[in-house]
Amino acid sequence: MRRKISILLCACFFIFSFTNFGFCQQVVPEGKSEITQVNKSSEKIVSSPKDIKERTNIYVFVAWMWLAIFVLLYIFRQKIKEVDRLYHLEFFKSDRK
Amino acid sequence: MSLRNIKIEMLAWFEDRLGLSGITKFLREKKVPQHRHSIWYYTGSAILLFFCIQVITGFMLVFYYKPTLEEANASVGRIMTEVPLGWIIRSVHSWAASFMIALVFVHLISIWLTKSYRKPREMTWMSGIFLMAVSLAFGFTGYLLPWDDLSLSATKVGTDIPRSIPVVGVWVTKLLRGGEDVTGDTLTRFFGIHVCILPVFIFILLAFHVYFIQKQGISLPLRAEVNKEEVKSLPFWPNFIYREVVVWLVLVGIIFSVAIFLPPSLEKEADLMAPAPEGVKPEWYFLFLFQTLKIFPPKILFIHGDTIAVFLMILAGILFFFLPLIDNKPVATKGKVITLMAYVFILYAVVMTVWSLW
Repeated sequence: MRRKISILLCACFFIFSFTNFGFCQQVVPEGKSEITQVNKSSEKIVSSPKDIKERTNIYVFVAWMWLAIFVLLYIFRQKIKEVDRLYHLEFFKSDRK
Repeated sequence: MSLRNIKIEMLAWFEDRLGLSGITKFLREKKVPQHRHSIWYYTGSAILLFFCIQVITGFMLVFYYKPTLEEANASVGRIMTEVPLGWIIRSVHSWAASFMIALVFVHLISIWLTKSYRKPREMTWMSGIFLMAVSLAFGFTGYLLPWDDLSLSATKVGTDIPRSIPVVGVWVTKLLRGGEDVTGDTLTRFFGIHVCILPVFIFILLAFHVYFIQKQGISLPLRAEVNKEEVKSLPFWPNFIYREVVVWLVLVGIIFSVAIFLPPSLEKEADLMAPAPEGVKPEWYFLFLFQTLKIFPPKILFIHGDTIAVFLMILAGILFFFLPLIDNKPVATKGKVITLMAYVFILYAVVMTVWSLW
Protein backbone atom coordinates (compact mmCIF):
# COMPACT_ATOMS: atom_id res chain seq x y z
CA MET A 1 0.00 0.00 0.00
CA ARG A 2 2.83 2.37 1.01
CA ARG A 3 4.63 1.60 -2.24
CA LYS A 4 1.51 2.30 -4.31
CA ILE A 5 0.98 5.64 -2.57
CA SER A 6 4.65 6.59 -3.15
CA ILE A 7 4.43 5.68 -6.84
CA LEU A 8 1.15 7.59 -7.19
CA LEU A 9 2.61 10.66 -5.46
CA CYS A 10 5.75 10.59 -7.62
CA ALA A 11 3.66 10.18 -10.79
CA CYS A 12 1.42 13.10 -9.79
CA PHE A 13 4.46 15.20 -8.97
CA PHE A 14 6.12 14.65 -12.35
CA ILE A 15 2.89 15.02 -14.34
CA PHE A 16 2.16 18.24 -12.45
CA SER A 17 5.71 19.51 -13.05
CA PHE A 18 5.59 18.97 -16.79
CA THR A 19 2.05 20.21 -17.33
CA ASN A 20 2.51 23.23 -15.05
CA PHE A 21 5.79 24.30 -16.62
CA GLY A 22 4.33 23.69 -20.08
CA PHE A 23 7.20 21.85 -21.73
CA CYS A 24 6.37 20.58 -25.25
CA GLN A 25 3.56 23.09 -25.67
CA GLN A 26 3.53 25.25 -28.76
CA VAL A 27 5.11 28.54 -27.79
CA VAL A 28 5.50 30.49 -31.02
CA PRO A 29 4.84 34.11 -30.03
CA GLU A 30 2.13 36.00 -31.89
CA GLY A 31 3.33 37.34 -35.20
CA LYS A 32 6.10 34.74 -35.40
CA SER A 33 4.91 31.72 -37.29
CA GLU A 34 8.33 30.47 -38.27
CA ILE A 35 11.54 30.08 -36.39
CA THR A 36 13.36 31.89 -39.15
CA GLN A 37 11.77 35.04 -37.86
CA VAL A 38 13.55 34.68 -34.53
CA ASN A 39 16.49 37.04 -34.33
CA LYS A 40 19.76 35.26 -34.83
CA SER A 41 21.97 35.26 -31.76
CA SER A 42 24.96 37.50 -32.17
CA GLU A 43 25.94 37.22 -28.52
CA LYS A 44 26.50 34.47 -26.03
CA ILE A 45 23.28 33.18 -24.42
CA VAL A 46 23.57 32.20 -20.79
CA SER A 47 21.15 29.58 -19.49
CA SER A 48 19.15 30.81 -16.55
CA PRO A 49 15.58 31.12 -15.29
CA LYS A 50 13.63 33.79 -17.20
CA ASP A 51 12.23 35.59 -14.18
CA ILE A 52 11.94 35.45 -10.42
CA LYS A 53 8.82 33.26 -10.68
CA GLU A 54 10.62 30.62 -12.72
CA ARG A 55 13.66 30.83 -10.43
CA THR A 56 11.47 30.22 -7.38
CA ASN A 57 9.66 27.36 -9.14
CA ILE A 58 12.98 25.72 -9.91
CA TYR A 59 14.30 26.01 -6.36
CA VAL A 60 11.02 24.53 -5.09
CA PHE A 61 11.32 21.73 -7.68
CA VAL A 62 14.89 20.91 -6.58
CA ALA A 63 13.88 20.89 -2.92
CA TRP A 64 10.87 18.64 -3.60
CA MET A 65 12.95 16.37 -5.81
CA TRP A 66 15.55 15.79 -3.07
CA LEU A 67 12.83 15.33 -0.47
CA ALA A 68 11.11 12.74 -2.69
CA ILE A 69 14.47 11.03 -3.28
CA PHE A 70 15.23 10.82 0.46
CA VAL A 71 11.75 9.42 1.20
CA LEU A 72 12.17 6.85 -1.58
CA LEU A 73 15.68 5.98 -0.33
CA TYR A 74 14.22 5.31 3.13
CA ILE A 75 11.46 3.12 1.65
CA PHE A 76 13.94 1.19 -0.50
CA ARG A 77 16.25 0.70 2.50
CA GLN A 78 13.38 -0.96 4.33
CA LYS A 79 12.51 -3.03 1.25
CA ILE A 80 16.13 -4.19 0.87
CA LYS A 81 16.21 -5.28 4.53
CA GLU A 82 12.94 -7.15 4.02
CA VAL A 83 13.91 -8.99 0.82
CA ASP A 84 17.37 -9.86 2.23
CA ARG A 85 15.71 -11.33 5.33
CA LEU A 86 13.32 -13.34 3.15
CA TYR A 87 16.23 -14.56 1.03
CA HIS A 88 18.22 -15.68 4.07
CA LEU A 89 15.14 -17.47 5.39
CA GLU A 90 14.93 -19.16 1.95
CA PHE A 91 11.34 -18.01 1.81
CA PHE A 92 11.04 -18.08 -1.97
CA LYS A 93 12.87 -21.39 -2.25
CA SER A 94 10.35 -23.18 -0.06
CA ASP A 95 7.58 -21.33 -1.88
CA ARG A 96 8.66 -22.82 -5.22
CA LYS A 97 8.74 -26.34 -3.77
CA MET B 1 -15.50 -7.56 -9.51
CA SER B 2 -12.92 -6.32 -7.03
CA LEU B 3 -9.78 -4.41 -7.99
CA ARG B 4 -7.65 -7.39 -7.02
CA ASN B 5 -9.58 -9.71 -9.34
CA ILE B 6 -9.24 -7.24 -12.22
CA LYS B 7 -5.49 -7.14 -11.61
CA ILE B 8 -5.24 -10.97 -11.53
CA GLU B 9 -7.27 -11.27 -14.73
CA MET B 10 -5.18 -8.64 -16.48
CA LEU B 11 -1.95 -10.37 -15.47
CA ALA B 12 -3.34 -13.69 -16.67
CA TRP B 13 -4.36 -12.08 -19.99
CA PHE B 14 -0.81 -10.78 -20.54
CA GLU B 15 0.71 -14.05 -19.34
CA ASP B 16 -1.29 -16.03 -21.92
CA ARG B 17 -0.08 -13.79 -24.72
CA LEU B 18 3.47 -12.85 -23.67
CA GLY B 19 4.59 -15.64 -21.32
CA LEU B 20 6.30 -13.20 -18.95
CA SER B 21 6.56 -15.69 -16.09
CA GLY B 22 9.62 -17.22 -17.78
CA ILE B 23 11.40 -13.86 -17.62
CA THR B 24 10.48 -13.22 -13.97
CA LYS B 25 11.60 -16.79 -13.08
CA PHE B 26 14.91 -16.17 -14.85
CA LEU B 27 15.44 -12.85 -13.02
CA ARG B 28 14.62 -14.40 -9.66
CA GLU B 29 17.03 -17.29 -10.21
CA LYS B 30 19.82 -15.10 -11.57
CA LYS B 31 22.43 -14.46 -8.87
CA VAL B 32 24.74 -11.47 -8.42
CA PRO B 33 27.98 -12.14 -6.50
CA GLN B 34 28.63 -10.01 -3.42
CA HIS B 35 32.27 -9.20 -2.59
CA ARG B 36 34.50 -6.18 -1.99
CA HIS B 37 34.58 -5.28 -5.72
CA SER B 38 30.78 -5.51 -6.15
CA ILE B 39 30.49 -1.73 -6.31
CA TRP B 40 31.77 -1.84 -9.90
CA TYR B 41 28.70 -3.86 -10.92
CA TYR B 42 26.59 -0.73 -10.48
CA THR B 43 28.45 1.27 -13.16
CA GLY B 44 26.89 -0.75 -16.01
CA SER B 45 23.31 0.02 -15.01
CA ALA B 46 24.23 3.65 -14.21
CA ILE B 47 25.46 4.03 -17.81
CA LEU B 48 22.14 2.63 -18.99
CA LEU B 49 20.29 5.11 -16.78
CA PHE B 50 22.15 8.08 -18.30
CA PHE B 51 21.57 6.66 -21.77
CA CYS B 52 17.81 6.54 -21.07
CA ILE B 53 17.94 10.16 -19.82
CA GLN B 54 19.74 11.08 -23.05
CA VAL B 55 17.07 9.39 -25.17
CA ILE B 56 14.18 11.08 -23.33
CA THR B 57 15.73 14.58 -23.33
CA GLY B 58 16.88 14.04 -26.92
CA PHE B 59 13.27 13.37 -27.99
CA MET B 60 12.22 16.60 -26.27
CA LEU B 61 14.97 18.66 -27.93
CA VAL B 62 14.29 17.27 -31.38
CA PHE B 63 10.79 18.83 -31.28
CA TYR B 64 12.41 22.26 -31.52
CA TYR B 65 15.89 21.79 -33.00
CA LYS B 66 16.35 22.59 -36.72
CA PRO B 67 19.50 21.10 -38.29
CA THR B 68 20.16 23.71 -40.95
CA LEU B 69 22.88 26.30 -41.33
CA GLU B 70 20.44 29.20 -40.98
CA GLU B 71 18.39 27.87 -38.08
CA ALA B 72 20.51 25.54 -35.94
CA ASN B 73 22.00 28.14 -33.59
CA ALA B 74 18.78 30.17 -33.46
CA SER B 75 16.71 27.07 -32.66
CA VAL B 76 19.04 26.15 -29.76
CA GLY B 77 18.78 29.78 -28.60
CA ARG B 78 15.02 29.47 -28.78
CA ILE B 79 15.06 26.24 -26.75
CA MET B 80 17.07 28.09 -24.10
CA THR B 81 15.10 31.33 -24.01
CA GLU B 82 11.54 30.67 -25.20
CA VAL B 83 10.65 27.02 -24.63
CA PRO B 84 9.40 26.52 -21.05
CA LEU B 85 12.23 24.81 -19.12
CA GLY B 86 14.02 24.19 -22.41
CA TRP B 87 17.35 25.32 -20.93
CA ILE B 88 17.07 22.66 -18.22
CA ILE B 89 16.26 19.91 -20.73
CA ARG B 90 19.25 20.95 -22.85
CA SER B 91 21.44 21.14 -19.76
CA VAL B 92 20.34 17.67 -18.58
CA HIS B 93 21.02 16.28 -22.09
CA SER B 94 24.50 17.82 -22.13
CA TRP B 95 25.45 16.81 -18.57
CA ALA B 96 24.01 13.29 -18.97
CA ALA B 97 26.35 12.83 -21.96
CA SER B 98 29.36 13.81 -19.83
CA PHE B 99 28.26 11.63 -16.90
CA MET B 100 27.61 8.71 -19.23
CA ILE B 101 31.02 8.89 -20.89
CA ALA B 102 32.77 9.34 -17.53
CA LEU B 103 31.02 6.21 -16.28
CA VAL B 104 31.90 4.35 -19.50
CA PHE B 105 35.58 5.08 -18.74
CA VAL B 106 35.16 4.00 -15.08
CA HIS B 107 33.36 0.79 -16.18
CA LEU B 108 36.08 0.02 -18.69
CA ILE B 109 38.95 0.67 -16.30
CA SER B 110 37.30 -1.45 -13.59
CA ILE B 111 37.06 -4.38 -16.03
CA TRP B 112 40.63 -3.81 -17.14
CA LEU B 113 41.94 -3.81 -13.55
CA THR B 114 39.86 -6.79 -12.38
CA LYS B 115 40.75 -8.74 -15.58
CA SER B 116 37.08 -9.58 -16.13
CA TYR B 117 37.66 -9.62 -19.90
CA ARG B 118 39.50 -12.94 -19.77
CA LYS B 119 38.11 -16.21 -21.12
CA PRO B 120 35.16 -16.72 -21.60
CA ARG B 121 34.22 -12.99 -21.60
CA GLU B 122 36.25 -11.77 -24.59
CA MET B 123 33.16 -10.95 -26.66
CA THR B 124 31.64 -8.97 -23.79
CA TRP B 125 34.78 -6.80 -23.71
CA MET B 126 34.84 -6.34 -27.48
CA SER B 127 31.18 -5.34 -27.67
CA GLY B 128 31.89 -2.95 -24.78
CA ILE B 129 34.72 -1.31 -26.74
CA PHE B 130 32.33 -0.80 -29.67
CA LEU B 131 29.77 0.69 -27.28
CA MET B 132 32.42 3.10 -25.98
CA ALA B 133 33.28 4.11 -29.55
CA VAL B 134 29.60 4.74 -30.32
CA SER B 135 29.23 6.78 -27.10
CA LEU B 136 32.21 8.94 -28.10
CA ALA B 137 30.73 9.32 -31.59
CA PHE B 138 27.49 10.54 -29.98
CA GLY B 139 29.51 13.15 -28.10
CA PHE B 140 31.47 14.22 -31.17
CA THR B 141 28.44 14.59 -33.46
CA GLY B 142 26.35 16.26 -30.75
CA TYR B 143 29.02 18.89 -30.06
CA LEU B 144 28.53 20.48 -33.51
CA LEU B 145 24.74 20.73 -33.30
CA PRO B 146 24.51 24.11 -31.44
CA TRP B 147 26.48 25.51 -34.40
CA ASP B 148 28.49 28.08 -32.47
CA ASP B 149 32.06 29.27 -33.00
CA LEU B 150 33.69 26.77 -30.67
CA SER B 151 31.78 23.74 -31.96
CA LEU B 152 32.53 24.65 -35.58
CA SER B 153 36.26 25.03 -34.94
CA ALA B 154 36.46 21.87 -32.81
CA THR B 155 34.66 19.90 -35.54
CA LYS B 156 37.04 21.29 -38.17
CA VAL B 157 39.99 20.04 -36.08
CA GLY B 158 38.30 16.71 -35.32
CA THR B 159 37.28 15.90 -38.88
CA ASP B 160 40.71 16.93 -40.14
CA ILE B 161 42.47 14.23 -38.08
CA PRO B 162 41.66 11.29 -40.42
CA ARG B 163 43.27 13.26 -43.29
CA SER B 164 46.67 12.18 -41.91
CA ILE B 165 45.94 8.53 -42.74
CA PRO B 166 47.46 7.62 -46.12
CA VAL B 167 45.20 6.49 -49.00
CA VAL B 168 41.80 6.57 -47.24
CA GLY B 169 42.31 9.65 -45.02
CA VAL B 170 41.00 12.31 -47.42
CA TRP B 171 38.01 10.13 -48.31
CA VAL B 172 37.11 9.67 -44.62
CA THR B 173 37.35 13.43 -43.98
CA LYS B 174 35.11 14.17 -46.99
CA LEU B 175 32.66 11.49 -45.89
CA LEU B 176 32.40 13.02 -42.42
CA ARG B 177 32.10 16.59 -43.67
CA GLY B 178 29.93 15.94 -46.68
CA GLY B 179 32.42 17.93 -48.76
CA GLU B 180 35.79 19.60 -48.60
CA ASP B 181 35.03 21.79 -45.60
CA VAL B 182 32.73 21.92 -42.59
CA THR B 183 29.49 23.51 -43.84
CA GLY B 184 25.74 23.27 -43.40
CA ASP B 185 25.92 19.85 -45.08
CA THR B 186 28.20 18.66 -42.28
CA LEU B 187 25.68 19.89 -39.72
CA THR B 188 22.79 18.04 -41.38
CA ARG B 189 24.98 14.96 -41.76
CA PHE B 190 26.05 15.02 -38.10
CA PHE B 191 22.44 15.45 -37.01
CA GLY B 192 21.41 12.43 -39.09
CA ILE B 193 24.24 10.36 -37.63
CA HIS B 194 23.41 11.59 -34.09
CA VAL B 195 19.68 10.81 -34.15
CA CYS B 196 19.35 7.98 -36.71
CA ILE B 197 22.49 5.97 -37.35
CA LEU B 198 24.19 5.90 -33.93
CA PRO B 199 20.99 4.99 -32.01
CA VAL B 200 20.52 1.95 -34.27
CA PHE B 201 24.14 0.86 -33.64
CA ILE B 202 23.93 1.42 -29.90
CA PHE B 203 20.71 -0.59 -29.51
CA ILE B 204 22.14 -3.52 -31.50
CA LEU B 205 25.43 -3.43 -29.58
CA LEU B 206 23.65 -3.08 -26.26
CA ALA B 207 21.52 -6.15 -27.06
CA PHE B 208 24.67 -8.17 -27.83
CA HIS B 209 26.49 -6.83 -24.75
CA VAL B 210 23.61 -7.75 -22.40
CA TYR B 211 23.25 -11.16 -24.08
CA PHE B 212 26.96 -11.92 -23.58
CA ILE B 213 26.72 -10.89 -19.91
CA GLN B 214 23.74 -13.22 -19.44
CA LYS B 215 25.41 -16.03 -21.37
CA GLN B 216 28.78 -15.93 -19.56
CA GLY B 217 27.54 -14.75 -16.20
CA ILE B 218 28.89 -11.97 -13.99
CA SER B 219 32.62 -12.19 -13.36
CA LEU B 220 34.05 -13.08 -9.96
CA PRO B 221 37.28 -11.84 -8.34
CA LEU B 222 40.33 -13.66 -9.77
CA ARG B 223 41.08 -15.58 -6.59
CA ALA B 224 37.53 -16.90 -6.32
CA GLU B 225 37.47 -18.04 -9.96
CA VAL B 226 40.80 -19.87 -9.63
CA ASN B 227 40.10 -21.57 -6.33
CA LYS B 228 36.47 -22.23 -7.29
CA GLU B 229 35.56 -20.52 -4.05
CA GLU B 230 31.96 -20.19 -3.07
CA VAL B 231 31.11 -16.47 -3.19
CA LYS B 232 28.18 -15.00 -1.35
CA SER B 233 25.47 -13.95 -3.80
CA LEU B 234 22.08 -12.27 -3.96
CA PRO B 235 19.15 -12.79 -6.33
CA PHE B 236 19.06 -10.22 -9.15
CA TRP B 237 15.33 -9.76 -8.59
CA PRO B 238 14.39 -8.14 -6.28
CA ASN B 239 17.45 -7.84 -3.95
CA PHE B 240 19.98 -6.44 -6.44
CA ILE B 241 17.45 -4.37 -8.41
CA TYR B 242 16.38 -2.55 -5.23
CA ARG B 243 20.02 -1.68 -4.55
CA GLU B 244 20.38 -0.42 -8.11
CA VAL B 245 17.27 1.73 -7.76
CA VAL B 246 18.90 3.41 -4.75
CA VAL B 247 21.95 4.27 -6.91
CA TRP B 248 19.72 5.49 -9.76
CA LEU B 249 17.72 7.77 -7.45
CA VAL B 250 20.88 9.44 -6.13
CA LEU B 251 22.25 9.83 -9.68
CA VAL B 252 18.99 11.35 -10.94
CA GLY B 253 19.14 13.85 -8.08
CA ILE B 254 22.75 14.73 -8.88
CA ILE B 255 22.20 15.09 -12.64
CA PHE B 256 19.19 17.41 -12.19
CA SER B 257 20.96 19.50 -9.55
CA VAL B 258 24.11 19.87 -11.65
CA ALA B 259 22.06 20.63 -14.77
CA ILE B 260 20.07 23.33 -12.99
CA PHE B 261 22.94 25.04 -11.21
CA LEU B 262 25.65 24.65 -13.89
CA PRO B 263 23.87 24.90 -17.26
CA PRO B 264 25.92 25.17 -20.47
CA SER B 265 25.74 28.47 -22.34
CA LEU B 266 25.41 29.02 -26.09
CA GLU B 267 28.14 30.92 -27.93
CA LYS B 268 27.33 33.24 -30.82
CA GLU B 269 26.42 31.70 -34.18
CA ALA B 270 29.31 30.19 -36.13
CA ASP B 271 30.66 32.21 -39.04
CA LEU B 272 32.13 30.04 -41.78
CA MET B 273 34.31 32.91 -43.02
CA ALA B 274 35.65 33.97 -39.63
CA PRO B 275 39.07 32.79 -38.37
CA ALA B 276 39.12 30.13 -35.64
CA PRO B 277 38.59 31.69 -32.20
CA GLU B 278 41.19 31.50 -29.42
CA GLY B 279 41.27 28.43 -27.21
CA VAL B 280 39.47 25.94 -29.43
CA LYS B 281 38.99 22.75 -27.44
CA PRO B 282 36.92 19.60 -27.90
CA GLU B 283 34.77 18.08 -25.14
CA TRP B 284 36.73 17.05 -22.01
CA TYR B 285 36.76 13.34 -22.97
CA PHE B 286 38.73 14.08 -26.15
CA LEU B 287 41.23 16.44 -24.49
CA PHE B 288 43.94 13.83 -23.85
CA LEU B 289 43.89 12.81 -27.52
CA PHE B 290 43.82 16.47 -28.60
CA GLN B 291 46.86 17.25 -26.42
CA THR B 292 48.67 14.16 -27.75
CA LEU B 293 48.26 15.51 -31.29
CA LYS B 294 49.48 18.94 -30.19
CA ILE B 295 52.74 17.72 -28.64
CA PHE B 296 53.89 15.90 -31.75
CA PRO B 297 56.37 17.96 -33.84
CA PRO B 298 55.32 18.89 -37.42
CA LYS B 299 57.84 16.43 -38.91
CA ILE B 300 59.65 13.38 -37.57
CA LEU B 301 62.40 12.48 -40.05
CA PHE B 302 60.44 12.78 -43.32
CA ILE B 303 57.01 11.73 -42.00
CA HIS B 304 54.33 14.17 -40.81
CA GLY B 305 54.02 14.24 -37.00
CA ASP B 306 50.20 14.05 -37.27
CA THR B 307 50.42 10.87 -39.34
CA ILE B 308 52.62 9.19 -36.72
CA ALA B 309 50.33 10.37 -33.89
CA VAL B 310 47.21 9.07 -35.65
CA PHE B 311 48.90 5.75 -36.40
CA LEU B 312 49.94 5.36 -32.76
CA MET B 313 46.36 6.09 -31.65
CA ILE B 314 44.93 3.55 -34.09
CA LEU B 315 47.50 0.98 -32.94
CA ALA B 316 46.64 1.64 -29.29
CA GLY B 317 42.95 1.25 -30.14
CA ILE B 318 43.54 -2.08 -31.89
CA LEU B 319 45.67 -3.40 -29.00
CA PHE B 320 42.98 -2.26 -26.57
CA PHE B 321 40.27 -4.04 -28.55
CA PHE B 322 42.22 -7.29 -28.65
CA LEU B 323 43.33 -7.08 -25.00
CA PRO B 324 41.53 -10.34 -24.04
CA LEU B 325 43.41 -12.18 -26.80
CA ILE B 326 46.75 -10.61 -25.81
CA ASP B 327 46.25 -11.32 -22.10
CA ASN B 328 45.12 -14.89 -22.72
CA LYS B 329 47.06 -16.45 -19.89
CA PRO B 330 45.21 -18.66 -17.42
CA VAL B 331 43.00 -16.81 -15.00
CA ALA B 332 45.48 -17.55 -12.20
CA THR B 333 48.14 -15.27 -13.74
CA LYS B 334 47.70 -11.84 -12.33
CA GLY B 335 48.97 -10.05 -15.41
CA LYS B 336 51.00 -7.43 -13.57
CA VAL B 337 52.08 -5.78 -16.82
CA ILE B 338 48.47 -5.33 -17.90
CA THR B 339 47.61 -3.82 -14.51
CA LEU B 340 50.60 -1.48 -14.77
CA MET B 341 49.46 -0.48 -18.28
CA ALA B 342 46.02 0.42 -16.90
CA TYR B 343 47.58 2.71 -14.27
CA VAL B 344 49.90 4.27 -16.87
CA PHE B 345 46.91 4.92 -19.14
CA ILE B 346 44.94 6.58 -16.32
CA LEU B 347 47.93 8.74 -15.38
CA TYR B 348 48.58 9.66 -19.02
CA ALA B 349 44.93 10.60 -19.67
CA VAL B 350 44.74 12.74 -16.51
CA VAL B 351 48.08 14.51 -17.12
CA MET B 352 47.26 15.23 -20.78
CA THR B 353 43.76 16.51 -19.92
CA VAL B 354 45.08 18.82 -17.21
CA TRP B 355 47.88 20.01 -19.51
CA SER B 356 45.34 20.75 -22.24
CA LEU B 357 43.21 22.80 -19.84
CA TRP B 358 46.23 24.70 -18.44
